[in-house]
Amino acid sequence: MNNTIPCQQCQESLLVFIDNEIEDSAIFNQMAFHLQECSSCRAQMELERQALNMVRVLLTRACCEIAPESLHERVADQIRELGARELSGFTQTEIITQYRRTEITVDGATQIEIETSHEIRRDFPL
Amino acid sequence: MAIALEVMPTELSMPDSSNAGALVRVDREKESAAQRTKRFERDALQYMNQLYAAALRYTKNPDDAQDLVQDTYAKAYTSFHQFEPGTNLKAWLYRVLTTTFINNYRKDQRRPQTSDSEIEDWQLADAASHTSDQGKSTEDVVLENLPDSDIKRALSEIPEEFRMAVYLADVEGFSYKEIADIVNVPTGTVMSRLHRGRKLLREKLSGYARELGYVKGGAAI
Repeated sequence: MNNTIPCQQCQESLLVFIDNEIEDSAIFNQMAFHLQECSSCRAQMELERQALNMVRVLLTRACCEIAPESLHERVADQIRELGARELSGFTQTEIITQYRRTEITVDGATQIEIETSHEIRRDFPL
Repeated sequence: MAIALEVMPTELSMPDSSNAGALVRVDREKESAAQRTKRFERDALQYMNQLYAAALRYTKNPDDAQDLVQDTYAKAYTSFHQFEPGTNLKAWLYRVLTTTFINNYRKDQRRPQTSDSEIEDWQLADAASHTSDQGKSTEDVVLENLPDSDIKRALSEIPEEFRMAVYLADVEGFSYKEIADIVNVPTGTVMSRLHRGRKLLREKLSGYARELGYVKGGAAI
């Protein structure tokens, strides 16, 4: 079994390894094995991991804005309005009526017959 | 209220890493509109602060961010019947947020997208900075002293694609796959945007630290 990978290959995948996103279990095992054996790659991984954790801490600390109360109200009102429309069966209805018109002309006299054939009703939610 | 339905996420099955919500079985066929509204209010509204913070990263101003969150919830509500219960609701909402931003806001700004040549420039800067990786841990101590306003400014100054990858991964903790679903790009693209974005952010932060005199010539005092 060949479990050794060169340092360069380890370093190329280091960030993905730190993110715990290496999907191929064979590659993951090779990386883990290499990091166990190679102190230089391990040291680099620790630096990268520290740097990443620091940035995460900084970002999470800074980007934690709270939605203003007015926004909570706006969204709640909007849902209530959209929900009420749905509940009341508030729909747009389209009715299509089709007619049949028959025109018969015999010796100059015209007879017109109009017949309602059917109605099509379609409901659309608003 | 105009709701643009251009690129609505349809039946999305977001992989749910937390598996929260999987305990509740919802039969969408039998659910009434009122029950669905209740479920939406119970499950979706809890993410408002997080969506607002993410919207601020997209729009960069509070008024637009609030409008974006409101529009996001309107769209999410009207297409909630398409959301598959038990899958990742938070990721689904982020996807609606992203789609809404792209449809309603970004096209107003006529913002030029990052071109390939720009990306090459970033890559070059990236490669060049590889040589100066020493002394990171001491620098970390220094970066910690930066005020929150500088952190936000640094983030807002990196291109949107990189900014959102970093934000979604490092603040929200989404996986590469989840981010790929949210911003609708391949996982490989997420990976490169994320790694480059982190590097750009670090460079900005180090720059600020240097300006403030926390660091001299790249080394900690």
